[in-house]
Amino acid sequence: MTDTKSLFKKPAFLVLAVLTLVGIVCWIMQQINGLGATGMNNSNSWGLYITCFMFFVGLSAGGLIVASSAHVFGIESFKKVSMPAVIVSTACICVAGMMVLVDLGGIQRIWRIIIGANFTSPLLWDMCIITLYLIINILDLVWMNKGEEEKVRKLSYVALPVAILVHSVTAWIFGLEIAKEGWYSAIMAPIFVASAMDSGLALLLCALTGLKKAGKADVDDALFNNLGKLLATFIAVDAFFIGCELLTMGYPGAEGAEILAIMTTGSTAAFFWFEIIAGLLVPFVLLASPARRNNKTVVLAASALVILGVFCKRVWLLFTSFVTPNVYGGAGITLGTSAAQQPYANIWSLGGTYAPTVPEVLVALGVISLGVLIFLVLSEKLLAKKEA
Amino acid sequence: MTKLAIAINLERCTGCNTCTMACKMQNNVPDGMLWNRVILEGCDSEFGAQGEYPNLTKRFIPVACQHCENPACMKVCPTGATFKDDKGRVEIDYDKCIGCRMCMAACPYNARVFNWNEPVRSTGFNYGHKDVPVRPKGVAEKCTLCKERTDAGDVPMCVRCCLSEARVYGDLDDPNSEISQLIASKNAYVLLPEKGTKPQVHYFN
Repeated sequence: MTDTKSLFKKPAFLVLAVLTLVGIVCWIMQQINGLGATGMNNSNSWGLYITCFMFFVGLSAGGLIVASSAHVFGIESFKKVSMPAVIVSTACICVAGMMVLVDLGGIQRIWRIIIGANFTSPLLWDMCIITLYLIINILDLVWMNKGEEEKVRKLSYVALPVAILVHSVTAWIFGLEIAKEGWYSAIMAPIFVASAMDSGLALLLCALTGLKKAGKADVDDALFNNLGKLLATFIAVDAFFIGCELLTMGYPGAEGAEILAIMTTGSTAAFFWFEIIAGLLVPFVLLASPARRNNKTVVLAASALVILGVFCKRVWLLFTSFVTPNVYGGAGITLGTSAAQQPYANIWSLGGTYAPTVPEVLVALGVISLGVLIFLVLSEKLLAKKEA
Repeated sequence: MTKLAIAINLERCTGCNTCTMACKMQNNVPDGMLWNRVILEGCDSEFGAQGEYPNLTKRFIPVACQHCENPACMKVCPTGATFKDDKGRVEIDYDKCIGCRMCMAACPYNARVFNWNEPVRSTGFNYGHKDVPVRPKGVAEKCTLCKERTDAGDVPMCVRCCLSEARVYGDLDDPNSEISQLIASKNAYVLLPEKGTKPQVHYFN
């Protein structure tokens, strides 16, 4: 228990708490002034929050998939890390859920979802599945903590498909929108699951390294090496799906090719190429050799690159489809922002335009900090106990 | 059944934006956004032409909610705030809108605008028709086909005010209506038919 006390004295804990508070203050300001506090506008109606939402739903995957695979496929070595894995998963899904909530313009009317649920809405599916996923994570933590092996085993058979589904449903929020050429694709769900697996596993590797350093997790080199090999496989699958999508987009030389051109040479090109080179190619090469996988620094660097790469992918995936409106022509779309409401201001934009504002970044950082705090507290409570 | 719609004769449209302003006044649309806008096809500004000199063409397209038969915005709305009413119009119940903006991502026509801030009106007062609800911040809005006017048997304000009489309003389900006759005889078309949204707003030359 002395450990818990020491945690609250750590400078990192203080910094995270302050960041969370700053985020809350900014969010309250956003509630008072409206979503105009963000960089979003009518031409680009989703921004950093939804990017982070996709990203954290994905990050949440690795944990629960590794933990439940341990039981479903009987991988004994994974069982040792299943507790930290589910802790990572829980913290990430909390962040993802909060990202949707901070993105809402009328959160005070959210109860309308319960009394007037429209079951054709992928967003409604997502809210249901995320809630279910969170419940499974919590049950998993409680039962693992109590050492109820049998219940954990049974739960794993539900947890694994739900983990796959939570990422598919998130993909369908985008993949079912015929309005957006860059989103409307059947491969969106497989891509989301693949990138959830690689980024989630990469995050788990980073978390395990940290926990091992803090003496809270027992990860032997063989397991680390094995997880690294699994990560390399997931990266390859992710790259394969992305390759399929890019070829299908570009080959006919039609509308999809225009989207591809924006991704490869246009406004989202930096994110696209970072993902392809630093997020897929480099980490795969690093992890492909068993010798290199024995080097912890290499595995950690590869994991960090994968996480960054997947974040960049969320960025290009979301924003590229906003760039060119389907019905194109001057003067364009009315922005509707506070800047556009000033006397004699330009209210028009020909295409999607967006840059996150400082309060928007602070809200997102606050939510992420809260997630890290959840991770730290859960690790302290649940992992310290095991050691004692 | 009734399926209210507008058909626009693009050959008559001069791009004067009277419809834009008539709509804004009638519906109390705040500063910085429009329900109805007139775009210049294929051009990067409101001034320009398509093609290469001397073979130039110039065509204005008024764009607002297309009141689709298969509305993508309605399907994705988590609370059912967007609905198709008994007169075939796509409408929004502002009390149910949670501001998630699924509809804005789903609409292929960028017909929807959002109240990013507390609505600002440079006049300092609400200038819309007295029956038009005033929208708060955090909700999406768009053309209602002048619900308040069309319910009372009037034509939408954009149709009423169009200087060149380019707009025709009527019931698509009535084969004898002027709009149905025009759509049939003029080979009218819709925007982005490939999206399968089946817009009720038609265009013809």
